[in-house]
Amino acid sequence: MIALFISLLNRNLFLPILLLSYAYTGFASSYELVDDRGVSVSFASPPTRIVSTLPSLTEAVCAMGHCGSLVGVDTNSNYPSAVNSIKHIGGGLTPNIELIVSLKPDLVLMSKNERISQRLEQLGLKVFVLESVRHRDVLRTLEKLDAIFKTNDAQRVWLSVENEISKATNSVPESSKKIRIYFEVSTGPYAAGPNSFIGETLTRLGVDNIVPTNLGDFPKLNPEFVVKADPDLIVISDNNLVDLLKRPGWQEMTAIRENRVCTLTKEQSDTVVRPGTRMGEGARIIAQCITSKGVHH
Amino acid sequence: MKSGKHLESPLVVKGTSKSTLALILASFAFAGLALGAGIGSTGFESLFNAVDDPIALQIIMDIRLPRTLGAWLAGLLLGLSGALAQGLFRNPLADPYLLGSASGASLGVAAMLLLFGAGADVSSFVFKLGLSGAAFLGAILAVSLTLMLSRGVQHTMRLLLAGIIVSVVLGALTSLSTLLEPQIIQTMQSFLLGTTSFMNWSSVLLMGTVWSICLAFTWTLSRALDALSLGEATAISLGLNLAPVRAGLIGALALAIGAAVAQSGLIAFVGLAAPHLVRSLVKVTHDWLILLSSLMGGLLLLTADLLARWLSAPEELPVGLFTAVLGGIYLLKLMYTRNMNRESI
Amino acid sequence: MTLTAIRLKNVNATLGSRPVLQDINLEFKSGQWTNIIGPNGAGKSTLLKVLAGLITFKGEVAFPTLKDFESKGKNKARHIAWLGQNEIGADDLSVYDVAMLGRIPHQGWINAPSAHDTYAVEKALKKTQAWDWRMRSLAELSGGERQRALLARAIAVEADILLMDEPLANLDPPHQADWLDIVKSLISEGKTVISVLHEVSMALMGDEIILLNCGQITHQGHSSDPKTHRAIEQVFEHRIQIERIKNRWVSLPNLNSDH
Repeated sequence: MIALFISLLNRNLFLPILLLSYAYTGFASSYELVDDRGVSVSFASPPTRIVSTLPSLTEAVCAMGHCGSLVGVDTNSNYPSAVNSIKHIGGGLTPNIELIVSLKPDLVLMSKNERISQRLEQLGLKVFVLESVRHRDVLRTLEKLDAIFKTNDAQRVWLSVENEISKATNSVPESSKKIRIYFEVSTGPYAAGPNSFIGETLTRLGVDNIVPTNLGDFPKLNPEFVVKADPDLIVISDNNLVDLLKRPGWQEMTAIRENRVCTLTKEQSDTVVRPGTRMGEGARIIAQCITSKGVHH
Repeated sequence: MKSGKHLESPLVVKGTSKSTLALILASFAFAGLALGAGIGSTGFESLFNAVDDPIALQIIMDIRLPRTLGAWLAGLLLGLSGALAQGLFRNPLADPYLLGSASGASLGVAAMLLLFGAGADVSSFVFKLGLSGAAFLGAILAVSLTLMLSRGVQHTMRLLLAGIIVSVVLGALTSLSTLLEPQIIQTMQSFLLGTTSFMNWSSVLLMGTVWSICLAFTWTLSRALDALSLGEATAISLGLNLAPVRAGLIGALALAIGAAVAQSGLIAFVGLAAPHLVRSLVKVTHDWLILLSSLMGGLLLLTADLLARWLSAPEELPVGLFTAVLGGIYLLKLMYTRNMNRESI
Repeated sequence: MTLTAIRLKNVNATLGSRPVLQDINLEFKSGQWTNIIGPNGAGKSTLLKVLAGLITFKGEVAFPTLKDFESKGKNKARHIAWLGQNEIGADDLSVYDVAMLGRIPHQGWINAPSAHDTYAVEKALKKTQAWDWRMRSLAELSGGERQRALLARAIAVEADILLMDEPLANLDPPHQADWLDIVKSLISEGKTVISVLHEVSMALMGDEIILLNCGQITHQGHSSDPKTHRAIEQVFEHRIQIERIKNRWVSLPNLNSDH
């Protein structure tokens, strides 16, 4: 109204003032956020059709209560169960671009992948990259999601994760503290180093990692190294167990002889290897494993 | 005059057959292109919806058409490279990767991922270069390295050996990179295994331009390739300036195969099989052979891509898988039928 | 007074580090048929390649009958044709296409064949009696047919000087006789033919013989000169005898059982 009044006073100002007023109203409700690539993404309003290409991101979105906004997820996303009825758009590294576009999403959440994000943005889609490497990254992801959805649930969700981890830590008996664990992530063998999120969980639980920090987050180890280190407990997913037993010299390891090996089912594995809102559950699984195999140092 | 060892072969009338073949290959490609507009995760419905649904239209125009066209163009480049490699080295078993371009592309991709991660800073030149650019550069640099190692283009044996050395060494370096950073393996493999899902109109333009240049250049030198097929000595005696011609053709080969790999990953067999298929249908000199091999390669890759997208829609299989299987079957057949017709292969 | 077609001065050639031709001083007369013969490993093919400019050598090779520009590069290819030994490859090309390759020095790399090109190719193919099956690919031919196709290619160049290394390989007697006729007709057209032959009797049909042994010229002389005959017999360790039979000089083998 004011704009109209001013513009009536001076015809020449009409158009610019009109545009300015539109811009003002536009700015008032649109917001910009920087994603993990450093790219500034602008939102007019919180997204309602989201495609996620990473299971941990799917879980985070659902943990924040926006499961209903998901219209597409990658094939590995399987938690919570509601997610299984959402359209699957292919693997995280090989998504079906066409399918994603056909779902008409107003936001695509994914981890860093220049090729995919570039293509999607070329096709006019909005992409927000969130990359979680450590525990604190998960909190950051939740906070960013808060900013996207204009909600305030991050702290609450994070607190419940933290509490679960603390509970898991407390459940580990004193005698089992300071045992030395070897966590095998995949055949290679690739282990979880202390600075990886899995390693951080192990540290929180109060146990030691046979892998030193200087080898990196998920180093490929020389099998001899593991034999020499002679861990007190081995954690591995059940489908990798067969290969482990075949390795030369491993049959003689204390942990193998005394059956101090925790095998994770596919479900448990999925929980433990995702750096997301189920880290508390993951900590619980590992803690249970430590307690049950009753390893005393 | 006629000896008993003559095989009954149909008299190939030069004029009609080769242009007929060209026409056939082009028409099938056109049909494939049309089909490609309809194959995908949302099927043929998108074609019908395209009229009123802008997203469906976008799918057709911005995703399906460029990738189908891109598959054809990449195949054109591969077929051209294959004919070029086989002509340059006078060996029907030569494939366009033999001067190290495949391992160069792999290393380029691995190096890019290793140094800059799967998601480089948006503003950097590296980001703009992308995996495609890295693959292209890698291929070109590998061939250059081969040329340096063989100290020029004079000796075929040296060139081939240098190519082997470069392939092995760069392959080892690539493996080393994946050891240092195992996370890059998946991204690298998905790139190299080949897919057309990232092709857009600028890839189409790029490949089309490179193909036109390489085809024109190679066509002008096609007589030189014919002369070379009689042996280096005869070719030189006919006035061929061997070194610059070879260098130029190797340059065209590197350019063509680099452009193809950059866009579509490492596609097996197309470069090897396309010229063979052409030669089994018509007897032609290199001018027509280059063009027909190119068209044949285009049709082969286009078909493989359509199959890869259609067979398990909405999932997509890697196109390199199909070319490997189809190509392998064809070469097996080639091996066995030849055995029956001749005393030796 | 016959002109010199090719003159060699102090030519030395090596294969790796091994000397193959040593201090060759030679003149080939224009318009005649010269044969280079000698034992295996004498360096005959190497000598021919030196004439064709296909290998590096020390010394001078001059072509007095050609103008200066005609003996270099592309121009040289128009005036000097070379047919090598045991040429492999080109299996997929038709006989006609192979013969047409001989026109490259005249055509350039891009131009379509001219009327004269097609005429020259036809003439060459008919000379070697390959015209009737010109559409067959080389791969389908017998050894002799293949040789005739390659010969047609060399003839199609219409060069002043023809260099041929073992051109009679795989040719059966009728076609060896044909080849002789071809050479005679080429000479009557004023061309110079230089061939390396194993068949001594055939070589004796030529005008001049050059004897090569261990990389050196042991004799150069007319093929009807008795001195030449004795030199040939000596170079071949008297395992052959050159006799006159029915107006031709013929080489007959000397068997050990003859003595």
